[in-house]
Amino acid sequence: MVVATRHTDSLFSSGRLLDEDKITKALNNATDLGAEYAEIRLVSETTNTASLKDGKLERAIPGQEVGVTMRILADGAWGVHSTSDIASIVDQVESTLRLAKAVAARRSPSQHAVGLAEVPIIEDEIHWRSIKDVRDTDLDTRIEMMLAIDNEAKDDEKIVSTSTGWSDEHIHTELMTSEGMNRVWSFQRSLINGMVTAREGGDVVSYRMRHGGEGGLELIESCDLGEMGRNAKISALRLLSAERAPSGKMPLVADRDLTGVYIHEALGHPCEADLVAAGDSCLEGRLGQTIGSEICTVVDDPTMRGGYGCYPIDDEGVDTRPKNLIVNGVLTEYLNHRETAHRYDLDPNGGARAQDGLHHPLVRMSNTVIQGGTHQDLDELIEDIDFGVYACGSRGGQVDTGRGSFQFAAQEAWIIENGSLSRPVKDVSVSGMTLEILKNVDGLTRDAYLGSPGFCGKGQTVPVGDGGPLMRIREALVG
Amino acid sequence: MIPDDAVERLMDSAQSIGQECNRAGIQQWEIFASQGYGHSLDIEAGKISMASGGGEGGFGIRIVEDGRYGYAHLVDPTSAGRAIQQAISIARKSPSIEGFELPGNQSASKVSGMKDKAILDMGPEDLLKQGDQVLTRVAELDSRAVAVGGGIGVGAGAGAIVTSSGIEDGGIYTSHGIGIHVSIDEDDHLTSSYEGESSRGLLKELTACVDKAVHWSQVTREKIPGGKTEDCPVLMTSDGFSPLFSVVVPSAIKGERLARGESFWSSKMNEIVMADHLSLVDDGLMEGGLSSGSRDDEGVPSRTQTIVSSGRLTGELWSTRDAAKLVAEGKVESAQTTGSAARGGHTSPPMCGCSDLILSSSAKTFSRNKLIEEMDEGYIIHSVMGAHTANPTSGDFSVTTSTILRVEGGEVIGALSQAGFSGNIAKALAGRVILGDSSKRKGSYSTGSMHVPDVLMLDGLRINPA
Repeated sequence: MVVATRHTDSLFSSGRLLDEDKITKALNNATDLGAEYAEIRLVSETTNTASLKDGKLERAIPGQEVGVTMRILADGAWGVHSTSDIASIVDQVESTLRLAKAVAARRSPSQHAVGLAEVPIIEDEIHWRSIKDVRDTDLDTRIEMMLAIDNEAKDDEKIVSTSTGWSDEHIHTELMTSEGMNRVWSFQRSLINGMVTAREGGDVVSYRMRHGGEGGLELIESCDLGEMGRNAKISALRLLSAERAPSGKMPLVADRDLTGVYIHEALGHPCEADLVAAGDSCLEGRLGQTIGSEICTVVDDPTMRGGYGCYPIDDEGVDTRPKNLIVNGVLTEYLNHRETAHRYDLDPNGGARAQDGLHHPLVRMSNTVIQGGTHQDLDELIEDIDFGVYACGSRGGQVDTGRGSFQFAAQEAWIIENGSLSRPVKDVSVSGMTLEILKNVDGLTRDAYLGSPGFCGKGQTVPVGDGGPLMRIREALVG
Repeated sequence: MIPDDAVERLMDSAQSIGQECNRAGIQQWEIFASQGYGHSLDIEAGKISMASGGGEGGFGIRIVEDGRYGYAHLVDPTSAGRAIQQAISIARKSPSIEGFELPGNQSASKVSGMKDKAILDMGPEDLLKQGDQVLTRVAELDSRAVAVGGGIGVGAGAGAIVTSSGIEDGGIYTSHGIGIHVSIDEDDHLTSSYEGESSRGLLKELTACVDKAVHWSQVTREKIPGGKTEDCPVLMTSDGFSPLFSVVVPSAIKGERLARGESFWSSKMNEIVMADHLSLVDDGLMEGGLSSGSRDDEGVPSRTQTIVSSGRLTGELWSTRDAAKLVAEGKVESAQTTGSAARGGHTSPPMCGCSDLILSSSAKTFSRNKLIEEMDEGYIIHSVMGAHTANPTSGDFSVTTSTILRVEGGEVIGALSQAGFSGNIAKALAGRVILGDSSKRKGSYSTGSMHVPDVLMLDGLRINPA
């Protein structure tokens, strides 16, 4: 076991909420009673949400939440206790240990016992500072920013309503383990969003937009919010006259947001090693195999500062790093936490994330991006398509990781005819099989970057970033 | 599982925060408190992978001054002073809504079935035995089947609301839930199904959803080639229909969205919006209803309200603030709360939402087999991917299914591996529709609980086989 100690950035250190002496005693007690490993992780979140409806303040909610979770590994099985009553956590060692042992007693000899891959044992503090700390942002500023969208979004008689929203949070985490890990880290996220609803006769449509990432107010200030509002209005008005999308197999070109959702759903989830271990991934046993077109290289990178899925340290105290999921079409890495890294004898790669202090860590994505290719721009991507669809903006997606089937939906789309965009269409969804459609990617523009921020649900909800370049799929099931 | 005096403790803390509001000179205040406890286990790769327990809770403070409102939430009641000041400063920046006041105290009728002593008495070992029972059942039904994911949980919660207008109410509620994801992976061919069930009382047939998950994993293995894209009848099982329904319909019946033109049923009050034998009732008083209770989440007595009667839109849902706001804005002539305030816990102020929402038919309803006969030719869909991407404003959806059976001559002839499925829920329900004869609470993407039967929709739906 490697032990490393780093110096704390004392200028930005936050006050500790865990009583280190009591926690150390509790962790020692767990191991004395037979635990192989024990950890206590506390998360304190200072949050602010706000929203406007038709330009008027609808709600503003400041909040201060704290939760703490203890995990105990005994006889190769987990027991977990979570509570918002921080002081009580140290009293739960014995009952949580009993839970772990009761689970272990049910394991058959053919089933895997849980083990943990070794990681550097670190004592330190890491605090990612925002240029403009969210805790210093006042409500007037939040309202002003939301109004910048709203004012530009509602300037048409067919726009029947607008709504805008704000969310920022300061996340402070403390982790102590029976191995001696003692880490504290903090960072911030900011998000602004809006929705425009347009109506003409009996037809009613809506269009949503979102901007944000890891960081403070500077992230929102860097966005042309007026343009965001204008674009949403234009898109909503365009959807009013859009036809229903065609159905069938055809070439598809996706914008950055949809490329990101596609790669998140179709590839990212099946790469999560806890799903692989559960027998619920179509990528089980495929490390080292070619699963996609050779122009596909996909990275999941929690260190991509500014992305909505960033975090400095994972929720098991492991340092983060970029993970190369696919390199030139070859599956090279799963997303891991310590348990799956041990199971598959792989290096832990910092993929453990929990929703908050009341949840245990799962294997999760962070910022997932497909790298750029060689096409110059959209024109070059579509110039040889006789009939297809160009789809933009995400309405979300879903995947069945075991079957390897996925679906994602676009906010708006255009028909491609004879190498040019022709008419707008609506209600475009795309579905396919991961192992087929990754091989059908045959065009990527050069410029790859993160699209709109998003949220990923897997029993727990975590913020994620995803994106890439514009992407062409030779054949996809549309509608 | 829960301390005997949990409600009293919450009430005491809430009253103490209320007194602090009084000392701060606040005109109207509402303290919402909740504390939950529970045990759960996770199932993974055919075994119980983790057992957990714990509790969480907190307080939400809503204040109203001259029609302006502010909100803040906290975990530790000793920090209420700061939260109250935050709520006050927000209220001062909020628009004043003429006529908006927190609800007064009205007597509310008790709703039974909210808690089950058998759940309160359950310990972690009892839950683990249920886990054993579930895994044994999977193996009994099909040796190829594996429970790749899922879990079982029991919970008990205490809730309390105390307001300056004299509402003081609290109670205990319990829940028991199971979710199970079964797959059969044989001959390089994987089929799977996820099923879930939950109840305020101890689930009587814990393994019923295991049976269903194994059944759907089995019946979708007989693959047939996908045909052409076609507009055709579709029979959605209640499990498949409920998530789609829950994204689109609860949103469309909110008074605010109807008044603002944000609902596909805007401007259609008293008009026919569904098939004339269909009715939609929002029941806040359902015995054992997971979204029912004697009061809504701002203390207004719950009620049973008809939203659609014989196909005609007759009702809508309002919370106190939404009603006052839309009247003040001149969007509606009059509106008042329908006891439809809901919240996701102490971190959220009350917002308009449905309770236990029931879709029913006055026409003859049929068993699933009879519905298949009636359909003659079309598809059965048991689950969809991407229900949350449906558009609640328009009712349009375009989703994917891997749990789809082809019906010809009134009989199932096989399963498609995958298909696109699109249409408009509002239009489909306004067309020719036949309902199945059983309705149980199903999964939902919205606040509230959906009670929908199997639904055979004959018009306006498109299947696009892969």
